[in-house]
Amino acid sequence: MKRKRIIKQSILTLLLLLGAAEMILPFLYMISTALKGPVYVFEFPPKLIPSDPTLQNFRTALTKNNFGHYFLNSLIISVITVVLILLLGSMMAFSLARFKFRGRNFIYGMVIFFMTMPSMSLIVPQFVMADRLKLVDTLSGLIFMDVAMNLPFSVFLLQGFLADIPREIEEAAKIDGASNTTVFLQIILPICKPALATSAIISFLGVWDEYVWATTITNSPKNWTIPVAIASFQGVHTTNWGLVFAASLIAIIPVLILFISLQKYIIKGMTAGAVKG
Amino acid sequence: MKHRIIFITLSIIMLLCTCITSFADDTVNITFWHGYNEDNGEADLLINTLIPQFEAEHPNIKVTAVSVPYDSFLTKLIAAISAGSAPDLFRSDIIWVPQLAEQGVLLSLDENMPDFEEYKEAVFEGPLSTNYWKGHYYGLPLDTNTKVWLSNSAMYEKAGVPVPTAMTELEETCKAIKASDPNAYLFSADGFYAWNLLPFIWSFGGGITDEEVTTADGYINSPQTVAAYEFIMKLYDEGCISPLIMGDGVDNYSGFAGGLYADISDGPWAYSILNGQFPDFNFEASLFPEGEGGSIQVIGGEDINIIAQTQHKEEALEFMRFLVSKDYQISMMSVGQMPVRNDLADSEEVKNHPYFGIFLEQIATSKARTAHPNWAQIDSVITDAGQLIARKEMSAQQALDDAAAKISELIK
Amino acid sequence: MKQLKEKKFPYLFILPGFLFLFVWLILPMLSALNISLRNWNIMPNMPKPWAGLTNYSQILSDSLFWLSLKNTFVYALVTVIGQMILGLLVALLIDNLIFGKVFFRAVYYLPVVTSWVVVSLLFKFLFNSSPSGFINYLLCNVFHIIDQPVSWLTEANTSFAAIDTLGIWKGIGFAMIIFLAALQSIPQDLYESAEIDGGGTIALFRYITLPALVPTIATVSVMLLIGAFQTYVPVAMITKGGPLHRTEMVVSYIYNTAFTNLNFGYSSALSYVFALIVFGLSRLQLRAFGGQKGIAEK
Repeated sequence: MKRKRIIKQSILTLLLLLGAAEMILPFLYMISTALKGPVYVFEFPPKLIPSDPTLQNFRTALTKNNFGHYFLNSLIISVITVVLILLLGSMMAFSLARFKFRGRNFIYGMVIFFMTMPSMSLIVPQFVMADRLKLVDTLSGLIFMDVAMNLPFSVFLLQGFLADIPREIEEAAKIDGASNTTVFLQIILPICKPALATSAIISFLGVWDEYVWATTITNSPKNWTIPVAIASFQGVHTTNWGLVFAASLIAIIPVLILFISLQKYIIKGMTAGAVKG
Repeated sequence: MKHRIIFITLSIIMLLCTCITSFADDTVNITFWHGYNEDNGEADLLINTLIPQFEAEHPNIKVTAVSVPYDSFLTKLIAAISAGSAPDLFRSDIIWVPQLAEQGVLLSLDENMPDFEEYKEAVFEGPLSTNYWKGHYYGLPLDTNTKVWLSNSAMYEKAGVPVPTAMTELEETCKAIKASDPNAYLFSADGFYAWNLLPFIWSFGGGITDEEVTTADGYINSPQTVAAYEFIMKLYDEGCISPLIMGDGVDNYSGFAGGLYADISDGPWAYSILNGQFPDFNFEASLFPEGEGGSIQVIGGEDINIIAQTQHKEEALEFMRFLVSKDYQISMMSVGQMPVRNDLADSEEVKNHPYFGIFLEQIATSKARTAHPNWAQIDSVITDAGQLIARKEMSAQQALDDAAAKISELIK
Repeated sequence: MKQLKEKKFPYLFILPGFLFLFVWLILPMLSALNISLRNWNIMPNMPKPWAGLTNYSQILSDSLFWLSLKNTFVYALVTVIGQMILGLLVALLIDNLIFGKVFFRAVYYLPVVTSWVVVSLLFKFLFNSSPSGFINYLLCNVFHIIDQPVSWLTEANTSFAAIDTLGIWKGIGFAMIIFLAALQSIPQDLYESAEIDGGGTIALFRYITLPALVPTIATVSVMLLIGAFQTYVPVAMITKGGPLHRTEMVVSYIYNTAFTNLNFGYSSALSYVFALIVFGLSRLQLRAFGGQKGIAEK
């Protein structure tokens, strides 16, 4: 019996290792290419371990191409967006979960509807809107849109979380004379911490990765985010693949740190979202 | 308490709404969009040397240079114009000018620049004419270029054949190249678009439309054009032209420097890119191989145009004068931008330039692409025809007859 | 007075967030309808003449739209099924594992958190059509599955092979995580009692695991489907819709119609039609799976 279990476990592990290799290999080749000079990028046969490794691509990405600036833009946009989403999202979720009021179902239905709508389908009127509000080629234009696109999911997540939490504490506080705002700040927000963390991470990933809107409304490199910058490294005359991948690896780092340190919350959020809808 | 949080929320939103605006004193800020290369020193030179020089001479003008990638330049420009956030002036590919002039978004210089005649006289006639549309001049030329035949010296040495000078020699040369390295290709181009195909079409004696641009019938489907397409397809089928022409593979520079492509056809910018990325690589330049129509390449280049809705016309004009000044043009030569001023044509700087000589020689027999607002669509008809023929989905004659009908419709 | 305040409170708390949704989603939705009914000229101060339904009727005879719709459907079908099957498989394997659960979960999830732009460029590079392309090299020279390098990205079918592979590769982890959570919520005593009754592994899967997973399968497939219909970045980065528009997807077609051809009216009409198709499909799909239970339940 025990031996059978060891064999079964070994087979399972072996199969998973095979699949894991396929998940990891593209990344390894990316790292390897980032370490190659242009001469070796298309050498035949292709080598996973570069024969003449160099850090030149990383140096170029960090110094010459203003990459630090794009990194900062992405960071600013992501952080402000996430803060706004958490604040506005939890306020909306609190109202939806705890109050009966006229229009509640309409608002909730809208949140669900926009959560499932293809994001590209409104890009034209959204562009016209950004144009009217003079937000084309500004960071604010990116932030506003990112908030609007990611808000429905966070509201949905937080509302669902709150709906499952008993109201006793709140009601006790209210009897003691606490206002709704006090309840929200001192009871609801602390209770919601896990859901807030999940929603923060998921919004962050979404905003950090956002490309279509960013490339549509930014013109000047000073307003570029990382995905736009990386896409622009695909040159007209030639694509310097080593540079593209060096930049990509730098861009992956914050996501990786976030992912490894907060894996639990990310997974919780993803599953909550799916099991719920 | 309750009001406070709402107040805080709203003020955060308000704060974000007030986009950062710089408080201008009496300096005027003008915005200049350019597509100067980031990877070969062009943009560097502009931003770190030339613009500071201009600003020092004109303390009341501040120039914001925005580098917009070539691929999305035209789209972004039109979108920005519609959004009212257009630059004051921009560096335009010469083939975009008719479309923009037709849309009415460019400032006509003959009506708005008092000393236009003086500048008109100072620059080459050909490049200047790319700014002419329906009775007015909408800009000045900034730089000019064409492509020449670039050859990988080591590959030719190994094959033991001379660089071909005529279309008729290409097949033989290809055989020699492939004999010395079966994996190699004679020539590589990155697609079937006009910039790559026109040199073959013209050198074979064919064309796209008549001189007056009224019809394509009898031009793009003429026996000469058909022969040019068939020639390219034959070379492609024999493995002489790299599969990159279908849209993917080893890019021109990597393949050229890596010993995979014996020849590419490219402009002066290739020098700085190749020397920068592949410092140990040797190549030589010659005229594009001659066909029955001669050795005819495409003229490229950039113009400088002002947006009609600019709020800073005078300052934009002043910067424009700077861009076509002798000093600016001489400085830009160091990164491979060919000047457009008559007084530089025979100058020491041009004569002693390491590689302009061959390009000047090629320009003498080069032609410009069709000046038409619908050029972009015409170009995609030409590209699609190439794809259809290469995929053997249509014969060259068939595909080009179709293309003739489509292009005639576009220029009607 | 206090009563009134109490009544106003939820509205006040909804308002700031609602403003965002109103300005960026609701208004645009209405404005898209307006734009789609006009010959929209994007130049300021130019007339934008009423066009009635011409933009919509044009769709019917637009072969490029139908081709892109077909491409989108094929892509959605292939990648959703691929992600579901492989995701479920990996989840089952990991669920039965004793050591290394966390490690494998993280590895399979890595592509999910990596940016679409980055992985699209990466796959474009891996699938390079030349012999020195990594995939060509592996298939040709290492595993000898093909005799000749394939021009992956210059033919429509093989381009889709690359784009589909990317779609599945990036999504396995997502499906895996959710299935894993669903598997872990199946009560163990169900299995134990069945094992006592002598059920084999396959029977256990067939009669206990699979039925328990049905609601999850329904929701995951809807989520993946909605995601697949939105796929834009891989096409934009890898083939740009070429050759000859043969790899165009509906969203890339919508985008290019608007921002390359600057035909905002037609693009908005396409968007409306497409949004309706997607919305209708996801409803249908949920119904086919036997009800919205999975959505409503936790």
